[in-house]
Amino acid sequence: MTLGSKSLAAAVVGIYGFILLPLIVVVGVSFNTSSRFDFPPEGLSLRWYHSLFDQPSFLHAFLNVSVAAGLVTAVVATLLGGLAAVALVRFRFPGRGFLEAFFLTPLVVPHILLGAALYLYFARLRLSASFATLVISHILIATPYVVRNVFAGLVGLDPRIEEAAVNLGASRFRAFLLVALPQLRSSLVSSIVFAFIVSFSDINVALFVSGPETTTLPVYLFSQIQWQSDPSVAAASTIQIVLVALVVAGLQKVFRARIGI
Amino acid sequence: MPTDRVPDLRVEGLVKRYAPQVSIGPISFEVYPGEYLSLLGPSGCGKTTTLRCIAGFEDLTEGAIYLSDVRLDRQPAHKRNVGLVFQNYALFPHLDVYENVAFGLRLARIGRREIERKVRAMLELVGLIDVSQRMPSQLSGGQQQRVAIARAVVMEPRVILFDEPLSNLDLKLRLQMRRELRDLQRRLGKTTIYVTHDQTEALALSDRIAVLSHGQIEQIGTPREIYERPASAFVADFIGTANLVKGVVIGTANGRLTIEVGRGLRLIADWQGAVPRGSVLLMLRPERIRFDLPQADAIENRFSGTLGDITYLGEDLSLAVHVDGGLELMVTAKSDARNRALTPGAKLELSAASADLHVLSS
Amino acid sequence: MTAIVQPDRRHIALWGVALAAPNALYLTLVLLIPLGMVATYSFFTYSTTGVALPVLTIANYAKLGDPYFLRLIGRTVGIAVKTTIICIFLGYPLAYALARARPTLATLGFFLLLTPLMVSPVVRAIGWFVLLDRNGLVNSVLMYFGADRQELLFNEPAVLLGLSHLLLPFMVLPLVASIERIPPNVEEAARNLGAGGLGVFRKVILPLSLPGLVSGAVLVYVEAASAFVLPALLGGRFVRMIGNEVFDALLVSYNIPQASMLTVMLIVLTIGVLGTGLALSRRGTVGRSAP
Repeated sequence: MTLGSKSLAAAVVGIYGFILLPLIVVVGVSFNTSSRFDFPPEGLSLRWYHSLFDQPSFLHAFLNVSVAAGLVTAVVATLLGGLAAVALVRFRFPGRGFLEAFFLTPLVVPHILLGAALYLYFARLRLSASFATLVISHILIATPYVVRNVFAGLVGLDPRIEEAAVNLGASRFRAFLLVALPQLRSSLVSSIVFAFIVSFSDINVALFVSGPETTTLPVYLFSQIQWQSDPSVAAASTIQIVLVALVVAGLQKVFRARIGI
Repeated sequence: MPTDRVPDLRVEGLVKRYAPQVSIGPISFEVYPGEYLSLLGPSGCGKTTTLRCIAGFEDLTEGAIYLSDVRLDRQPAHKRNVGLVFQNYALFPHLDVYENVAFGLRLARIGRREIERKVRAMLELVGLIDVSQRMPSQLSGGQQQRVAIARAVVMEPRVILFDEPLSNLDLKLRLQMRRELRDLQRRLGKTTIYVTHDQTEALALSDRIAVLSHGQIEQIGTPREIYERPASAFVADFIGTANLVKGVVIGTANGRLTIEVGRGLRLIADWQGAVPRGSVLLMLRPERIRFDLPQADAIENRFSGTLGDITYLGEDLSLAVHVDGGLELMVTAKSDARNRALTPGAKLELSAASADLHVLSS
Repeated sequence: MTAIVQPDRRHIALWGVALAAPNALYLTLVLLIPLGMVATYSFFTYSTTGVALPVLTIANYAKLGDPYFLRLIGRTVGIAVKTTIICIFLGYPLAYALARARPTLATLGFFLLLTPLMVSPVVRAIGWFVLLDRNGLVNSVLMYFGADRQELLFNEPAVLLGLSHLLLPFMVLPLVASIERIPPNVEEAARNLGAGGLGVFRKVILPLSLPGLVSGAVLVYVEAASAFVLPALLGGRFVRMIGNEVFDALLVSYNIPQASMLTVMLIVLTIGVLGTGLALSRRGTVGRSAP
């Protein structure tokens, strides 16, 4: 590293400190013995974690809504987006260039706009907030990541290897299944994981399209911190942090590659 | 030239048009059973496109391709059974050596025991039986190439196509692989079409060479024919180095032509057939010009010149000679003690046999 | 490009359409139509019953002349711009370090950057909330040094802090991609010719990483302008942005036309910037040879 290495290193460490500070605080607060948001925590206790499991609304939000919605979103988004990416890369048809940009549009529209628009849309269709409306919304925001990921993966494939398969007797379709798909493993897995996380962490859209029965974990945390504050909020947040950290580290280990946004 | 055998592969009038003004062809040639034919030419000459047309990855705009008299170009690529060895081998990165070689056999729904027998036999043949469990990324370049060949050959194709397989290798490895390739091809006796831009490679490996330029075949012949009797200035210059001199035919006698070059210098070249009129191009290979021949020895052409630049090439010396009579010739000489002592300005007596002068019509 | 070339046969093109159709249909139904509806509703009249009265009016847009809304827009744009600037200053050192770091260090660096990014904004807001609270850590430190207890929350700096913290990765990631494209020996050449650290940055890194900078800046700006959760938690009633206004109009006052109008305004404020950014980056890359 050049550019005045020492001052750069100091700046970088400082900035990372800035980035990690709030998270460290949240984790620290979760271990408080008292019900105040003390940081550093007065003592260490797991009471707030225990209390979470006594809150059915937390468990419901965490497992029944967020995790479930995340899984459904991950699968559907990967299917939709994967097929779309294959179409964009491997086929030529009129409107392909337009679709390439169109499919990525939800990435550039702020989520709050999507949330508001979807709220109105579902109201107009007389659909009350449900698991379905939540998942539909999440699929919308997650699919573009899949499209981009799989697109990049496909573009990086060596076409000659599939030609070799064709030369040895495989039809184009079989060559794709037998040769291209295995090489896309990392793109597909990271797509599924990404779609899950996008759904799991989303709040701006969920605030508009989730209802009393379908409160996601982030929405639950949002209302908790505003109305009833005790460190169980921090405990729930810590669980989320740990989950995400494990997933990111896992992906990095397996693919030794950066996950692009 | 074998004329009574039936060719394994016949390309007739192949034309491939990319754009209104951009096309290659018409290209026609035949490859006979067991023959090793090279398609040789610079980048963009159409050799790779021709190969890909044979393999089925490009469609012909006009013309036809026949494999043992059966129309090939109408068949889809995966049904043609012509083996293709790619430039960067295109091994399946997610399969080990064994599975790579077995790939085509599995697709053909051949029985498991039969597959095992064939794959093992092929791996033994190419000397890879010990690494059959390794992944392509764990193999050396030479080993990868052998896997690529094994994979294609195990399918028992009628013809094998090679797309510049050695061009990514460094010199030493290339020479070694070249020898292995030739050995392998002799042992297997497969009809082979080999695309390359490296003329030394083509000369070393082929039974016949087709030289291409700008989408046309300039000449097809044995390596010797191509080298000693090039049909055009392009071929003469592309294969080896050549001195190309303009001259005028001023006489003919006993199967020889007398040609005047430069300012009054007369050279005699062997020639058969109709006497070309007017100006011609004379080709003389640098290594065929001698400057140390004793006066007593009979040779058709003698002329003198002054030494200009000397370039040391290790094994040889390249001499630029200003010939009396207004010519510039490149002469290649062995780098022995006497020749190394030459200095610019030295007077040289040059000689060349009439058989080594080749006439190209202008 | 990468397609196995079997030139234009119609049935193959049809396959492409078939594969892309589900997603195209999905986007039309779930993105285009709702957004179209929002635009339409912004011209309808407020109704106390039902969603809105289909009576066309520009009354909603006329409200923009109201000082309240003017201040709202000004505050939103101001915060968005300031956040972007902060992220540029914090983002460049980080991006440069990540781009030039050894692989193992880079992996760690990305881990520490991506994990917070993928954790919900709520969690991070909670962290700041705790830090900046009257009894929070920052105040404790300040009071230790003898300063007064400060009201650190519910003001614009708190929102700026939270937003730049939230959006920093959006700036860093495109920048890293851009800086990685700069061959290290170009920097070395600059040093060899006499440029010091800052000189190398100004003359080499900055101009060559411009595409990434524009990309990141646009992303941060768009997200900051449309922020809602962070201003709500850290700014409360005192720092309201358009996002907060939209939420209230939609879910609290049920004033659909007003919410729609605000949504359209937000689109104008953000997509307008996007378009400019895109145009800028395109002009910047034309005439520059590919690396």
